[in-house]
Amino acid sequence: MSTYLQFAVLGLGLGAVYVGLATGLLLVHRATGIINFAQGAMGMWGAYVFAQLQIDGTLMFPIGQVELGEPGMAVSILLGLLMGLLLGILAHYLVFRPVRHAPVLAQVVVSIGLMVALQALVVIRFGPNNIDVEEIVPQGSIAVLGADLASRELIMAAIMVALAGLVWAYLRFTRTGAATRAASENERGAALMGFSPDRLAGIAVVLSALISTAAVMLGGSITGLNPANYTLMVVPALAVLLVARLESIGIVCVAALALGALQSEIGLLVTKSWWPVWAQSGIDQVVPFVIVMIILFAYGTRLPSRGALQSIRLPDVVIPRIRPVPALILVGTAVAALSLTSGELRFGLTTSLIMTLLALSYVLITGYLGQISLAQLAFAGAAGFTLAKVTMAWGLPFPLAILLCSLVATALGMLVALPAFRIRGAQLAIVTIAAALAIERFVFGNYSLTPPEGNPIASPTLAGINFAVREGRELARLEFSLMALVVVVLAVLLFIRIASGDTGRTFLAVRANERAAASAGINVRMTKLIGFGLSAFIAGLAGCLIGYSHGQLSAESFSVFVGLQILAVAYVGGITSFGGALVAGFIAPLGIVFVLLHQWFEMGNYYALISGIGLIVTAILHPSGIAGAVRQGVGLLAARWRPRDQNGSTAEPPTATTESSERRVPSRVS
Amino acid sequence: MSAETERGLHTRELTVRYGGLVANDSVALDVEPGQVVGLIGPNGAGKTTFVDAVTGFTPAQGHVWLDGLQLDQLPPHRRRAAGLSRTWQSGELFANLTVAENILVAARPGGLRRIWHDIVGTGDRAGRELVERALQVVGLEGAAGTTARDLTLGQQKLVGVARALAGRCGLLLLDEPAAGLDSNESVALARRIRDIAVEGPGILLIDHDMSLVLAVCDVVYVMEFGKIIFAGTPTDARVDPAVVAAYLGVPMESAHA
Amino acid sequence: MPDVLLQADDVTAGYNGVPAVRDLSFSLRPGEVVALLGPNGAGKTTSLLSLVGLVPLMAGAVTVLGQPLGSRPPPVLARKGVLLVPDDRGLFFGLSVRDHFRLARRRPSRDREAVVFDRFPALQPLASRRVGLLSGGEQQMLAIAKALLAEPKVLMIDEMSLGLAPKIVQEMLPAIRDLARQEGIGVVLVEQHIELALSVADRGIILNHGDVVLQGPADDLLNRREQVEAAYFGSDQFSGSEA
Repeated sequence: MSTYLQFAVLGLGLGAVYVGLATGLLLVHRATGIINFAQGAMGMWGAYVFAQLQIDGTLMFPIGQVELGEPGMAVSILLGLLMGLLLGILAHYLVFRPVRHAPVLAQVVVSIGLMVALQALVVIRFGPNNIDVEEIVPQGSIAVLGADLASRELIMAAIMVALAGLVWAYLRFTRTGAATRAASENERGAALMGFSPDRLAGIAVVLSALISTAAVMLGGSITGLNPANYTLMVVPALAVLLVARLESIGIVCVAALALGALQSEIGLLVTKSWWPVWAQSGIDQVVPFVIVMIILFAYGTRLPSRGALQSIRLPDVVIPRIRPVPALILVGTAVAALSLTSGELRFGLTTSLIMTLLALSYVLITGYLGQISLAQLAFAGAAGFTLAKVTMAWGLPFPLAILLCSLVATALGMLVALPAFRIRGAQLAIVTIAAALAIERFVFGNYSLTPPEGNPIASPTLAGINFAVREGRELARLEFSLMALVVVVLAVLLFIRIASGDTGRTFLAVRANERAAASAGINVRMTKLIGFGLSAFIAGLAGCLIGYSHGQLSAESFSVFVGLQILAVAYVGGITSFGGALVAGFIAPLGIVFVLLHQWFEMGNYYALISGIGLIVTAILHPSGIAGAVRQGVGLLAARWRPRDQNGSTAEPPTATTESSERRVPSRVS
Repeated sequence: MSAETERGLHTRELTVRYGGLVANDSVALDVEPGQVVGLIGPNGAGKTTFVDAVTGFTPAQGHVWLDGLQLDQLPPHRRRAAGLSRTWQSGELFANLTVAENILVAARPGGLRRIWHDIVGTGDRAGRELVERALQVVGLEGAAGTTARDLTLGQQKLVGVARALAGRCGLLLLDEPAAGLDSNESVALARRIRDIAVEGPGILLIDHDMSLVLAVCDVVYVMEFGKIIFAGTPTDARVDPAVVAAYLGVPMESAHA
Repeated sequence: MPDVLLQADDVTAGYNGVPAVRDLSFSLRPGEVVALLGPNGAGKTTSLLSLVGLVPLMAGAVTVLGQPLGSRPPPVLARKGVLLVPDDRGLFFGLSVRDHFRLARRRPSRDREAVVFDRFPALQPLASRRVGLLSGGEQQMLAIAKALLAEPKVLMIDEMSLGLAPKIVQEMLPAIRDLARQEGIGVVLVEQHIELALSVADRGIILNHGDVVLQGPADDLLNRREQVEAAYFGSDQFSGSEA
């Protein structure tokens, strides 16, 4: 029994981190209505600064550094917190303030962009590996009820609860705090009483950065700092936030500590002989996901949301039409490019093709249906891993195997869509990122399901032709690239037919206005189910192609971070059109642009940093992305060449891809 | 009870509670086919709540029948499929779809079976004809290709009506179609409403524009504090003391004293 | 202290390029009560919101406390003493009555609270109650009380009578007028019920479909009942031209 107690107490260390992150999330949400997916990443920066000061006395900035000799613990902590504070101020002015009245979609993606950018920046500045952090609270033990309990974890929990208590007191007892609560309920009402909601939001973002920085500093001193771990610790913190119904700091503290203790106990239980081997790894990440699902199913519709002053409209969607000539030119160009290149370049082009598919799945689910899914790559991965099983164990032949595996992804997508019946917006983003993380850790990273020595995939063959990606020293065989092209073209045709048909129209109607859609006779739930299924199907196809292109699979290909990076390029390319997906394919990580740039200089994490920042800039300044900008530019040029004729109709702008004409406003209808 | 079998819309004991507040109190209301029925009342009386309750957008107790079908347990899209159409106070068009798409989406609201048709189907002449007919009814011929948000408010409201009429429409609920329209648009709207009623579906018209309601309605219900306080002809409504008091208020003796 | 607190000149305002009110002009002096009247959808609320900059002006000009409107955003205007009680009452249901009082003033003042409680004695025992638990009448009292607490120079109230029993309205309106006279507050009342509003107002403006249809001294308007009713129930424009 005392072992269980000891483990529970050990878990409080992790719980203390959750207290800090979830309190930060709560503050930001109260003051801005935004769910800040970058909360963990924001807390991490200051903690890294602190750790580096302790290691060698270097004060690191995003660019440049200063040697401080031996600053000592207290100074290091203060400098770390100061950096956290500065980051909070920057994040408020550059990232959150511009989207305070934007659609939820923009709010979620800017915080994702911030998360991707910060994570990349930390890797660039501090390296990808775990670094040790000097202990802030000394280790020790106290005896309670006959058990030796870790005093360090208890003290850490006490510190974080005390800090959360300060935040609570701020909201409860100060005039500014009361105004923050007031504005979270009725922003116009607060403005009419003389409070500037922007200023209140700024204060809250800065406070949240401070408390999260403190949490990661403390947590890092137990586990060491690791960029991926602390960035993704936002997921369990989000689960805690939902348990507290986004309101109660008291419940945040209790739930956070309980979750930490529970995960620690699970760590103990999985070592028992009776625990099934297949469920040993990643189960601790399944817990937050299950909590998120339960809370959102039980309370989803009743969770408080924030009434803002106004909202900007969503980026316009381009309804695709199949135009044979441009389509043939496009495919012809692709065939030529693949034939004329070889080696790395051809592999880059092929990867771009596959990434176009993944981006297209985001276009469908987010651009067309307006649902935020952060799990598309997990769907792709599910298909890829199934492919390894069915081709090796069952010997299922090539085209059938792809279809079957994509259907597995479809089923998974529809399963994740179930919460979308009751919730939308940022809450759906929480569910999908929790699902993606749970799948990554529990399935992809689970050695009993996916052995670490690799998951080989049988080479695809059809009618005697071998479509394997490699042979001898050839890195990317033309047969494989052309096969990928055929799959991509078929998938794009499928997308265009559905997106331009009745189904696509219902997607757009649901995206625009769910109430009005229901009143027009649309079954909103069924439409979402179809949308998630279709997008997961397309993602599944991409996952199978990724599988074939590597010959074998590893969990890294489908990690949550890679998924977020692809979301970032999909958004930068243009989340609302096929053209955007095409652009995204080009600029995707490991795609052709990446390969070309890589020949000149080491891109590595700078690419992730640029995608993250690009995502933020795009979401704030030009939500329809590069493709949208190109369309506008071409439209303007066309208008200049062929000015309005007498009827007032404008020339149809020629576009690069199988695009529709841009909608023009005819003269007033009488 | 005859309301269960008769043609037209019939509500009985329809009650909506928000917390302790009774927003609709046991409302009984009938609309026969071809009839234009008005529901009026001062702001906050519960008229829009009533429309939401009938169409399934707010939880309610009580019964709703349309042409003999009991609808009160169905979700909104099933009620729409059964012929119960509505428009919204704020228009609520799909702002970045064209007028034609706004109408088509209501006429063919998707579903699993539609996917196959999307993939293999060719041409859509039926759709174009359907849109043209619907736009003719509201007098917006030629607007099919315009994006909804580029229409004037008056035109948006008319497209809302066209959208509600697309597909099967057994009864049309118009929630404040004249709000935000200028006097001319409002007059034009009145004419359209009468024309549509002649074609068949009954119309329930909710509006604040008393002159519009009194001019086009066969029967008027007046609601105050969630209750029906008057039902009868428009002419009677105009002179009914309870109705006048509900709108203009009662003179305040004490304040003058 | 400027002689005219608020001056609207040919104000046209609305959303998305669609005017909801056209050519509204009036001025408000200290101690004066102006009633903005008309059926729903007439443009009253839009007018009020445009006067504090929450709805953009499409034409015309507004001068508040001697300065053009555009120079000060709504929160600053509120701190200067221009307070609007919006149609949703601008309350925060999760907060207590006392919280509202604290938000209303930078420096709490017992004297001021006494003055306000004197006008609305019903609020006195409710100080620690959450606003979500108050009745509609109590909420409306609180909405106005918190505005008065800030010692306003201009007070605008949107649809005070909405959802309230006439008896409560009959108590509150005269209280507001008396305080306005005493302290030199300029009051703009938006109302649908004309009788009550005109009985306390100095002047009235009647809107319909966004246009000013009648404007003048309150007594005058009360005596022209038929014209007022026509503005509400319409003339015979429909049956006349369409039959």
